[in-house]
Parts: sequence; structure tokens; C-alpha cells
Amino acid sequence: MNAAFLVNRLGIRFERRPTTSVAMQTVAVLLALAVSFLVSASLIHLAGADVAKAITLLFKGAFGSQKAVINSLVQATPLIFTGLATAIAFRARIWNIGQEAQVFAGAMMAYWATLHMAGLPRGIVLPATIFLGFLGGAILGGIVGLLREKFRVNEIISTVLSNYIVLYALSYLLSEPWRETGGYHQQSAKVTEASRYPAIEGLSPLHIGFLIAIAVTLGLYVLLAHTPLGFKIRAIGHNPRVAAFKGINVASMSILVLVLSGGIAGLAGSGELFGVTHRLRFDSLQGLGYTGIIIGVLGGLNPLGVLLAGMLFGCLLQGALYMKVLAGVPNAIASAMEAIILLFFLCSTVISRYRVRRLK
Amino acid sequence: MTQVLRVEELTKRFATVTANDRVSFDLEAGEIHCLLGQNGAGKTTLCECLYGFYLPDSGSIFLDGREVTIRSPSDAIRLGIGMVHQHFVLVPPMTVLENIVVGTEDLAPIPNMGIAEKRIRALCEAYDLDIDLEARIWQLSVGEQQWVEILKALYTGARILILDEPTAVLTPQESEKLFQIFRRMAAKGLSVVLISHKLNEVMESDRVTVLRQGRVIGTVRPQDVTKLDLSRMMVGREVDLRIQKSTLGAGALALEVRDLCVLNDKGQRALNGFSLTVHGREIVGIAGVAGNGQKELFEALIGVRSIESGEVRVAGKDLTNARPKDVADHGVGYIPDDRFGAGLIADFSIAENLILGRQDDRRFNKGFLFRRHAVNELAASSMRDFEIVAPSDKTITKTLSGGNIQKVILARELSQSTVCLLANQPTRGLDVGVIEYVHRQLLAKREQGLAILMASEELEEIFKLSDRIVTLFKGEIMGILSGEEASVEKVGLMMGGMSAAMASEVAS
Repeated sequence: MNAAFLVNRLGIRFERRPTTSVAMQTVAVLLALAVSFLVSASLIHLAGADVAKAITLLFKGAFGSQKAVINSLVQATPLIFTGLATAIAFRARIWNIGQEAQVFAGAMMAYWATLHMAGLPRGIVLPATIFLGFLGGAILGGIVGLLREKFRVNEIISTVLSNYIVLYALSYLLSEPWRETGGYHQQSAKVTEASRYPAIEGLSPLHIGFLIAIAVTLGLYVLLAHTPLGFKIRAIGHNPRVAAFKGINVASMSILVLVLSGGIAGLAGSGELFGVTHRLRFDSLQGLGYTGIIIGVLGGLNPLGVLLAGMLFGCLLQGALYMKVLAGVPNAIASAMEAIILLFFLCSTVISRYRVRRLK
Repeated sequence: MTQVLRVEELTKRFATVTANDRVSFDLEAGEIHCLLGQNGAGKTTLCECLYGFYLPDSGSIFLDGREVTIRSPSDAIRLGIGMVHQHFVLVPPMTVLENIVVGTEDLAPIPNMGIAEKRIRALCEAYDLDIDLEARIWQLSVGEQQWVEILKALYTGARILILDEPTAVLTPQESEKLFQIFRRMAAKGLSVVLISHKLNEVMESDRVTVLRQGRVIGTVRPQDVTKLDLSRMMVGREVDLRIQKSTLGAGALALEVRDLCVLNDKGQRALNGFSLTVHGREIVGIAGVAGNGQKELFEALIGVRSIESGEVRVAGKDLTNARPKDVADHGVGYIPDDRFGAGLIADFSIAENLILGRQDDRRFNKGFLFRRHAVNELAASSMRDFEIVAPSDKTITKTLSGGNIQKVILARELSQSTVCLLANQPTRGLDVGVIEYVHRQLLAKREQGLAILMASEELEEIFKLSDRIVTLFKGEIMGILSGEEASVEKVGLMMGGMSAAMASEVAS
């Protein structure tokens, strides 16, 4: 109603636009990306590397060859899952920050199951691990949901804490019970052949986890846009009070959202375990959840947008890897770039809602 | 009289909408000047231009004959223009004095409260405002809080006071008191600009400028025109201010409330042993200032507020503490007072808001997926039947005008209610044309045999529609009067807490 306004002694002022067009938002996002690259370039320069060379390598590493693109998509796969997990929760205004723990839980649950499925045929083991990966994350999400609805525990606090609990639980399991016998590293033994995700024909090492990610993206898109269930999820996100007034059970809907969100994050964990590393270990899983939050927001909490943002970040990670090896740019630059992109993106979405006016 | 303010050809556009189209008007010293118009006519935009919230696209503003540019509210305050908004900007746990000083002073590290207090006391005396400066805001009635806002403006040296629908939240007696204050202010040479769409109070001002669709239709003196003239100017067509209500015999018992006790959000008793019956073909009006338990009553009835004790029956079926879905399934619809807080989802499209609550109905889905066709059909027929004006059913609801927003709620709730319709302030903030429309819809539903329980602060509305009038004060029924027994004076006194017997005595 009342425009947010800001008077500037320079003789300009900002007025809120009544509506923001799609074109305007696209321009804003592209500008944000461009500015992010500029700022990142100066970081690379500060790190003492040749900027032009580093950026070229970044692009080459991400898109330079078919193999580069495939590797980028491998990197993107878990991020799409955690981004989608963010999207569904945040659409319902439920602040799930526990994707990190849910990723671990998915991998742990599925790994535990394979220990008891030795000798079973692939036709059983493969669907079972996919399902259990989902289940692991879903159980964790469900616990958060129950705490939230039955005991009014703020989900931000419980999810952040769950990240530590699950991390240390895994640390314990990998230091003794699940540790590879005679192994030096804190990691499990290799998982059975039958449980590994097959590679997509001709695109190895890209595994079927990527196809699952695409399927979940489309599924979630349909769910949110075209089903009564998605309608109710959006309703509780926009206005839980009105939703309750119109007969929607906000508590059970919230728990369901956390179950789905946790489950989707769990798929990232089992996907990495059975599709990429083939061992349960920390380094490959750590950070996927947190990056997923960035991707969910970047994708505008829209599943299709998340897919794009996930792929963008996959490219960024793969390119940064190349850049690190060949131009000697520190690894941390890639993480910094992720954060820089998010910051400028968030600024751009706000700025695109205003217009500048000159005072006469 | 001397002219203090003149606006010439002021134009203000928002994207494609022209909110003010070459608006001109003038204000004299010691005048109460009313801006009258429907919602969206441009009254508020005009005032916000005067107060520096918006910068006009073209046109000029003259103050004491000198052209000025008002770039911000602080400019406006410096020029002696004060504004009181519909929603008060006060800090509840702080005292009246603190609110006035903190909200207005260019704060010195330690404000001099002693001097401030003296000045404020002088103002109170000058305008005969009886208010305890040490009282905390939350202890005050809404009417008194409004005085604090007025004092704030006067304290900053306002010579021109702009008020946006000041009587929207007041009882008839409080409104009258407010107008007495305006009279005293005017007598001392201050000028008052009032935004209003209530014809009664408009008639009490010195001059009226009528706006329609951003243009000035004319400026008139109330003694030269009738209410009907004004409403015609405002709406642009003939308006039937009198609605013929047929006499119907009451039908079967539809809603039965016995000894209801309900708590408010602070955990205090909001309803204390409330009992009432509503029959089919009957409208029962609840008169009372908002905040006397209406909201809690309706929320308890639809199942979103727990009932401490007592009983609710709809068509004989016990629905005490039933789930909202069950209540709705038993044919109860609810039009809440707070459209975006309780009625619909601002960011949903019109179509989405129309099926809200019925999304699981088999008519609208085939298990997992929505039946687009059925949803679109419902949207199309609702928009046609209820004259909802919008580019399409995909339009986001919050971009609609207040009247159209209310029609979306009406369309949904009227089609959902088959036994009983509950309505809390169904016409609050709407303009004459839409109010007339809502009234006709409610009366049509009454004819169809529905039981209607409606709460309203507008006594005119209560009297026009109700078969019986219940007066609610602090969670208790002061009396139930039939349409013939009730008079505005009697009900007004009961709204202030007087018993029915006392009120009859005083009134006669």
C-alpha cells in the first residue's frame, strides 16, 4: 500500500513498483551473475593468479568438452536434490536448514541396508537403496516435524542441531563399526556391485541418480502447481492462519512437507554413495545440504529454477576444480563464488522491485 | 476566509493506473473539508502526495499562496501538515507522553520531558482533550489512541491536519466526540482534511470534494445537497440507499449457541456465557464495537478457536470444538472481518482463492491432479455471478480493489453455506456501491432460507438488515431487541455497556 520509499539528498528517490515483470527479473538475475563474476575475478586476482587464464579455465573445465559437461552434471546431481528439498520446505515457509543431516541420514540408512542385502540380485537391491535413501532423510525430517508441531520446537534450531548430531553419529560409525577392516582412512569398505547406480549409457560417469533428480524435479513441479496436495502446501506457506480457517490441517501438512523435504535430501546422500564414491565417507557429502539452500533460493523455490541453478553450480564446482589444478587458484574461491552469486542475486531481486525517480 | 492550501492539476500515476488525474482543490483556514469517494477513487493517494509519501508526476501545491515541493513527510511536517493514518503508529507499552515526544522530537540524547509535558497539556486544554499523559497506550480505548495521534500532529505544529477514515474504528458516540474536537480545532483556525466514504459524517463537514476514478467530480457545501446527490456523484449512477426487506416468518432452528465461554489471544475471557439462536430466513445482527468478542465468537463457531465451555449446534448437530473442515461440511460459511488475515490468501490467484477449502472436493480433482476444467468453470461462473472485475481468474488477488476482494470471499462463502452464514463486518472499508451489492446478496440468501449471523459496527447496516439485534459488550449480551423495539440511540448506549432496561429509560 504505502510505498516503501527512500529520499536521497542527491535528488533521486526509489519507489516501489506495483508489479515486477518477468523480463525485469531476468535482466536482474543476469546482471547479478555478471557482477558476481567481476567480484570473483578480483578475488582471484588477490589470490595471486592470472585472472584471464583462471576464468578461461573455469569455463573450459565446466563446458570445454563433452567429458567436462558430464562431470559438471555429476557434480550437479546431489545439489539438485538438496535444492529441491529446500524449495518444497521453503515454499511452505518451513525453514529446513537440516538438509546436511538429511543427506547423511539418507546415505547411512541405505548403506546400513546394503550390509544386510549381500547376495541379493540388483533388481531388488537397487530400488531398495533408492527407497531407503529417501526413507533415511524422511525419518529425520519427520522427527523435526513432530518436534515442531507437538512440542513447538523451532525447526531452524532443531535442524541446525540435527546437522551436528548426525555428523557425529556418522563419525562414530566410521571410526569403528562401519570402518573398512584394516583401512587407514575414516571410510567404509566399498559397497557391493549390485547396489551401485549404473551409469547412463555413453555418458559415464553420469549415473542414474541424475535421471532420478530430473524425475523428482518434474514430479515436484507437478505436485506444487497442479495438485490439491501442492495447493495446500503453498497455502500453508502463504498464510497458515487462512489455511487453517479453510479447513486445512496445518500441523499434519507441515510434518508431511518436512518428510518429503528430508527424503529428497536423503536421495542426494544415497546417490553420492552408490553413484560416485561407492564408499560411505564424509568429504563427498559435506556441504551438499548447505549449498542446496543457496540453490533452492537461487532457483526461486521453483523446481524448474532449482534444476537450472543446480546445474549452474555443478558447472561452477567442476570448473573451479579445473581452475584449482591448472591455475593454482585456491579451492575456497569456488565456495566464495557461490556465496557471492547468492548475495548479488538476493540484492537483484530486491532492487528489481523498485524504480529510480529523479526529483524535479 | 483565507486560503491555506491549494492543489492545482495534480496528477499521480502508478504504472498503468492514474490514481489522481489533474486533481485540483483548495482548503481554507478553519475549515473541515471532506474528501469523499469510493475505494480506489484516489483520496488516499492525494493525501499521501500532500504528506510527501509520493511525489506527484505533475501539478503544483501552494501553501499560503507560495508554491512548495513536498519530498518527504519531514518536509510536510516542517510546512505544518500533519497526518493521522488509518493504522496508528504508537508503541503500546509506552506512555502517551513518551509516544508523543519520541515520535516527533528530533531526539536530543535526553529529551526534556518537562517542557514537552507542559506544551502537550496546553494543547489538551486548548482543544478540550481529556487524556491521561501517564497512561500507557495499551490501556487506552481506540478512540483515545486516535487522540494521541492527533496530539502528535498538533505537537509538531500542524496547521493542516489530514485524517484517513478516522471514524472507521469508533462507536457512534466516539465519532461524535471526535467531530466536536474537529470543530474546536477549526474554530481556532486549524484546517482539517477528512477522508471518508460515510455519508453521515460527510454531511457534518464544511465542504465536500467528491472524487471518482482519480478525478474531481465537484466541490459542494453539504447544506446545498442531499445524501443521494453525494452518492450519485461518488458512484456515477443512481444508488438505492433504501433496501426493501421483505417480512419473512423465521424458519427452522439453524444455529444454536448455549453458554459459550471462549478465551482471546491473551488468555482472557472474550465471551462469557454467550447464548443465541438463529433460525433460517432470519438475519441476526450483532451490534458492538469491534473487540468486544465478535472475532472470538465467530472463530469459536467455525472451529479455529477452542471453546472452554458451552455448546454449539448447527441444524441440531453438535459441532462444539469440531474441526473447521467438519463445520464447513455442515453448510456453514464465514465472511471474516480481516480479508487477508483470515479470508483469503493475498498471493493466490482469484481461481485459487475461490476453491480454497474445497480443493479436496472430488468435483475439483481426480485423485492426485486437479480437474482444471472444473476449477476454471467455477472461477468463470463466480466471477460472472458476483461481478468480480479482473483481467482474468489468474490475477493475483492482492492486486484487486477492496470491493472485488470482498466479492471473491462472498462468492466462495455464499456458495459453500447451505445452512448458516456467519459474517463479521462484511462491508468494512467498502464503498457505497459494493455495500449495496453485499446487502442485496445477504438479503437474497435470507430469502433462500439461510440463517445469517452478522456482526457490524455500522448501526445503519445492522438496522437495515437485521430481524433481531443483539448488542455485545465485553463478551456479554446486553440485550436482544427485535427490529421494532430497537432504536439507534438505545443500541448505541448498550454498545457502551448499558443494560437494555437502562438504555430504554435513558433513551425515552
